Amino acid sequence: MTGNASSPTVLTPREIKLHLLGLVLFLGLLGLWYWLSTGARAVPTLIQMLQDDDPSTRIVAAEQLGQVGPAARAALPRLLAQATTDGSQHANTAAAAALKSIDLTAARQVMTHFIPRLQDQDAQQRRTACAVLGSLGPVAKPAVPALLAVGHDLDELVRRNALMALASIGIPSPPIVAALLEGLRDSSALVRQTAATQFAFTVPLTQPVRTALTPLLNDPDRSIATLARSALDKAKSDDVAQIESLGMMVQHSAARDYALHQLAQLGPAAGDALLPVLPLLQDDRPLVRYLAAEAIGAMGPAAKQALQALQQGREDSDPVVREAVADAIAGIEGATASSEKAARP
Amino acid sequence: MIATTHEPSSRLRVLTRLGFWGSVIGGLLLPWGIMLAVEVIVHQVPFARAWRSFTLHLFAPGYNFFLIGLLTAVPFVVLAVLILLHLGVTPVQEPLIPRRRAVGLAGAGLGMLILAGWTHLEVLLHPDAQGALAYLYLPVILLVSMPIGYGLGRVIATILLPRPSS
Repeated sequence: MTGNASSPTVLTPREIKLHLLGLVLFLGLLGLWYWLSTGARAVPTLIQMLQDDDPSTRIVAAEQLGQVGPAARAALPRLLAQATTDGSQHANTAAAAALKSIDLTAARQVMTHFIPRLQDQDAQQRRTACAVLGSLGPVAKPAVPALLAVGHDLDELVRRNALMALASIGIPSPPIVAALLEGLRDSSALVRQTAATQFAFTVPLTQPVRTALTPLLNDPDRSIATLARSALDKAKSDDVAQIESLGMMVQHSAARDYALHQLAQLGPAAGDALLPVLPLLQDDRPLVRYLAAEAIGAMGPAAKQALQALQQGREDSDPVVREAVADAIAGIEGATASSEKAARP
Repeated sequence: MIATTHEPSSRLRVLTRLGFWGSVIGGLLLPWGIMLAVEVIVHQVPFARAWRSFTLHLFAPGYNFFLIGLLTAVPFVVLAVLILLHLGVTPVQEPLIPRRRAVGLAGAGLGMLILAGWTHLEVLLHPDAQGALAYLYLPVILLVSMPIGYGLGRVIATILLPRPSS
């Protein structure tokens, strides 16, 4: 420092270098903090947070564990407990949503726990059951028949939650779309609005649904008419360009789950997206492999060339994926056989 | 005579170091400080609860306060490097040059601070679905505002610190 007094500049070159080095060190420490607080490194801390008294802490911890994915397997027991026994509905749904990204079998356990509760005497229990099943998304496909039955529940909030859950599950598409269309004629304005909202923002719209929605543009309830307008203004989901863009989206990890889910709901119309979907049967994440199998299975005869790849999927490490693959093979073979039969003179 | 030559250069050295680290740390802490202040002052949340909620959401998906802090800090880090390389290498024999540069850099820093503070306050006080986009655009806007602020500072410096007539 004694050299400063005689320095011809405000700081000596050595001081400047040291400051720059200090800055690099500071940024490195910030990077280290981020690295230690995210990904699999954060799992032990997040598991501890799941035991916190404050529900908001448990919710945030569950959301972060969901982001970590299969590497957060150590959190499964705590997340299962939170999804099924926590007193806060939001904590239940956050844990269930995380489970589907970590372990499909655990997610199915949550589904099995809540399906009987759809028939509970207590309306609040039925509402929570619908909300949790919805948060499991397409993984809760086997719960669809039970949710369809709840569509006629006496409690309007149960009916609303059931429609939201069905839209979130999305597959198989035909009975869900039929239930949502029925919801548009519900006696409760809240349920009608919820059904219209699902068409506007969640469920992909095919031509028959667009035709069914068109009269709603003149609905006396302005909010429903507006939602119908939003739905009809959406790009046609079964349009070639739209399928092409979904096919491109599956190649990007950030939009992959969404795009696969949309393709699975579009069924045979999504056949053009088969090629980008096929490699995803080998993805690291079970949820992606599951969605890929569901999307391919829904394509029907158009996915005939995927049968060989699907046969390899029969050996998948995840039982839920194996089940989806088996269903897809059976569906494609069945649809192909019937279309060949119909083509014969 | 010796004391008068050394004192201003010593002050400038301190000012350069303070400006450098103040810009780096201030840029990072500014959004976090505003978040906490809005919780405590506007939403009347006790500080301990606001702090707990803040730390909880630092790395939480959909919130990621850490990333927001980092994004805001980027232009301030650039400013810090500029302070170091622009002011730090100024010859002390001509005191007018470092002074004018210091005022220019102060103008840039002040402008960036006001712009960043206002943006963060607006996002928090008037929440909107697209509000988070402001966090993405803010670093670019701050980088663009830096030379403008510097230019204004230099103009002010030219007015306030005229060159002594020979």
